[in-house]
Parts: sequence; structure tokens; C-alpha cells
Amino acid sequence: MNLQKNTYRQQSDLANYCRTNILSGSLKVRKDRVHHYRRLVFNVVDDSLRSAYPLLNNLLPPKQWDLLVKEFFANHACQSTKIWQMPEEFYQYVISKESALKKKYPLMEDLMKFEWTEVELFMMENEAYPSFKTKGDWLNDVMIINPEYKILSFAYPVHIKNAKYITASDKGNYFLLGFREKETGKVQFMDISAIYTVIIENIAKEIKLIDIINALEGQLNFDSMDSMVQQIVPFLKKLKEKGFILGFKVE
Amino acid sequence: MNNYIGIGFRKEFSDEFLSSGKLKPGFIEVAPENWMGIGGYWKKIFKQVTEKYLVLAHGLSLSIGSPEDLDWTFLKQVKDFIKEYDIQIYSEHLSYSKCDNAHLYDLLPVPFTEDAIKHISNRIKHVQDFLEMKIAIENVSYYTPVAAEMTELEFINEIVSEADCNLLLDVNNVYVNAFNHKYNAIEFIHGLPLEKVSYIHMAGHEQVEPDLIIDTHGANVIELVYDLFDYTTRFVRPVPVLLERDFNIPDLEVLQDEINKLNRIISINWDLQNESTKKHIPAAV
Repeated sequence: MNLQKNTYRQQSDLANYCRTNILSGSLKVRKDRVHHYRRLVFNVVDDSLRSAYPLLNNLLPPKQWDLLVKEFFANHACQSTKIWQMPEEFYQYVISKESALKKKYPLMEDLMKFEWTEVELFMMENEAYPSFKTKGDWLNDVMIINPEYKILSFAYPVHIKNAKYITASDKGNYFLLGFREKETGKVQFMDISAIYTVIIENIAKEIKLIDIINALEGQLNFDSMDSMVQQIVPFLKKLKEKGFILGFKVE
Repeated sequence: MNNYIGIGFRKEFSDEFLSSGKLKPGFIEVAPENWMGIGGYWKKIFKQVTEKYLVLAHGLSLSIGSPEDLDWTFLKQVKDFIKEYDIQIYSEHLSYSKCDNAHLYDLLPVPFTEDAIKHISNRIKHVQDFLEMKIAIENVSYYTPVAAEMTELEFINEIVSEADCNLLLDVNNVYVNAFNHKYNAIEFIHGLPLEKVSYIHMAGHEQVEPDLIIDTHGANVIELVYDLFDYTTRFVRPVPVLLERDFNIPDLEVLQDEINKLNRIISINWDLQNESTKKHIPAAV
């Protein structure tokens, strides 16, 4: 490095001021103007986080939101070169820290996971789509699913209820399927049960439905194999209509 | 109508831009950081735009003025992006946006010092070697000098000379800095290495205090900046000119009016029909 210590120190002090709002006495700048840098830098970060987490922003009182963003930006060294990815670091920062805010809002992590997943699914790079045929046997053919998806689990129903009205009595096990429509690029979410989570995960491994059901029989409260099929196949047909199940494997 | 005037492509107006035909730039400029490593809807839109327009790239995160090492992983992504979209001009800011291993997502002023000149020039050379192309470095707006040991003009000249890079001349930034730091914009322009200018930026700004302008890209270009552009282009060879508008985006017809105005100025100042003129701009422009 060709930089002398003093030049580096000046740069570091200015950057640190923008992150923390703490002005070093040795920073040689115009004191009447340097605050604009703190304002401009912080606004960029704050705007980006508000845009990624509108529900969290709506849930928290403005002062608490502001404190949280300021704490994050001051204490966390952002690594993303792409600003749209930076909000994931905010989420990771929040889940890595114990805080009074999380105790006050126990659903906070679920809410952030939900919001970030939507951004991530919408923005992520295209996955290769496998070839498939549109018609097949639901039980005995391997199903091909949309490769751009995520299954999330929550302790609170942040995906179906306004976070402001979620209480401790809502606590439970919730599952959510999120996927990106190939044609429009829109992100769709579907509330699903635990059993369908297992079924989808097995379909993704290219296991035939008949084999999945056989493996699950006995663990579930169905009268017979037929009743399981009658329950599950219509759900899978719905997933196909929505564009999550693409079709059937070309053998 | 010539194709020398481009527009900074924004997601905010992409739908209308592609469907209405109200805005007819000669090319578009994008920040690679906003379009690299994405898929889905925006990838599709970007593909449509790049099939229609020549793309120039103006980076945000290279942070050429950073004290620390260059981010080679990031640079590899930029190189791939430049190759994928056949980008003929890649420019960056003479500033830093990362320090102590933390990105700040905005442009901070570098101290105008001798050691900073050496440091930044070396970094530019490394980037140029890696990308196998010359890059253009933009004179940035700044609101306070930081431990300056020389003038901004000396600093820019030394860096462009030592690094043997091109200059992205932001005319609005010259105006903003001249206002903020009380120097003469015309004299400043004449002090620049104008033969190295390969690209020009024009933008609007906002006066926030009686003696301070912030370079917001959120307003129309003001007449005094058009005047400075008119004057400047008499001394610069024909190069692509970009209209930047990042916030408070008006109706696209307003942006087209600004493009038309810039076009009228360069049509007078530059001999655009001359074949030797054409060789100075990217082929597709």
C-alpha cells in the first residue's frame, strides 16, 4: 500500500463517522458540512432496508426502527457489493444478536425471514429448468418442480396475519412454499401443512408419489392409501396449475 | 437526431421506457452492481433493453480510492458483465465507498495527497490490466475537502496522467464543486486533461444551503450547467454524453426534452458527420 498512515487515518475516520456519527477530532474536514456525508450515506442504507423490510418497518415504532438500523450500520461491516443484497446482512445481524427488541417482538425473526425470502426469490439468478412432459401419472411418474423455490418454517403466522395483531397464542408450526413464476418472474407464496412440506421435499428428490406415500403410511392419520391419494393428488394438481409443479420427468 | 446522448437506465421507468417510445436515448448506462448476478423479472427486462440499446457501464462499488486491497472477486464479476454485454466504456468514481472492510454505498471524498495519487493510480492500473481495457475515472462532487495538500485539479490531473486512464468529465460536478468551494468552473475545465475525456455526464442537483449544493441527480439540469456544457464541448472531442436522473423521475417526455437540448448543443459544437469524429465514440453509438 502506498498510502501513508495519516491519509489512511483520515479516510478511516470519515468512513467511521458516516457509520457511527462519531466525529474524530483529528479528521480534517469542514465541520459545518461533513454531516451531509453521514446523512447521505445513512439514507442510502436506511432506504434500502425499508424497501426490503416494509412489514418490519411498519411493525416497529419509528424510533426503534431508526435505532436498530443505526446500530446495525455502526456495528456491522457490510460486505455486499450489490446494495440489494445488503438487507440479507441486516437479517443475519438481527438473528445473531440477543436483544430486548426481539424479546418484545418474538415474531421479528420470522417476519424478516419471510420478507428477505421474497426479495431473494425475486432477484436470484435463474436456475436451469429441467425438461419435462406436461402429462403423466401422478402416482407412478417422477414429478418435475420449479427449481426456483424455497420452503420456510415459522413459529408465527407472519405470512397470513398482520404482524401487529399476532400474539403469543398464535405460536405454532407454520410452513410456507415460495416460488418464482417462470414467465412473469413474480413470487408466489402458499401456506402449506407439515405433511405437504415433506411431500414436496421428497418430490424435489425425484421420488415418485407412490413411494412417498408408502413411506409415510402409518405415520399419518389416513384411513387408507386411497384416502391419502384422494387428499394429496388434488393439492399437487393445484401446485401444477400455479406453476410450481411443471410436469413429469421424461424417462 | 444523433446517438451521442444516453440515459441512465432506471428500474423506476423501465416499463414505460420499453413500451411507450417516449424516451429515445442513443444508448443506456447502467451500474453493473444493480444488474449482475440477478435473474427473473429484472434479468428479462435487462435483456430486452440490451437487445435494443448499446450499454455503457458506470460502477458504484469498485471503490478505487479505498485504502485496502482491490476486490478481485467483484472485479471478475464486472469483467464477465462487460464481456457478456459487449460494454465499451466502464467508468468509476474518483472516490471511495468502502473502508476498513465495510461498504458504505455512497461516494466519499479522497484526501488530495501525493500518496493517495500513487495509491489510486496503481489501483487503476491494476484494474485496467485485469479488465484489459482503459477505464474512465469521474471527477466527483464533494462537500468538504479532507486533509487536502493540493487542489482537486492537481489531484485529478496527476491521477489521470500516472494511471494513464480516461476521464469521465461530469460537468454538473464541476459546477457543484465550483459553487461549493468557490472556484471558477471555466478555469477548472481548462485545467483538466481534456484530451483524455472519453465520456461526459450531465445531471441536476439541489441547493441545500446558501453556499452548498448537493449532487442529487434528482432534478432537471439547470441552465447554468447547460451553459457550462455548451462551453466545455467546444474544447472536447465528440464523446458519449449521459443524462443522469436517479430520483424524482419526471415524465419521460421531460427527460427526452433534456436529451434533445443536449443534442442541439453538441450538434452545434461537434462536427458529427465527419468520419474522423465518429472514430472517437464506441462503434455502436
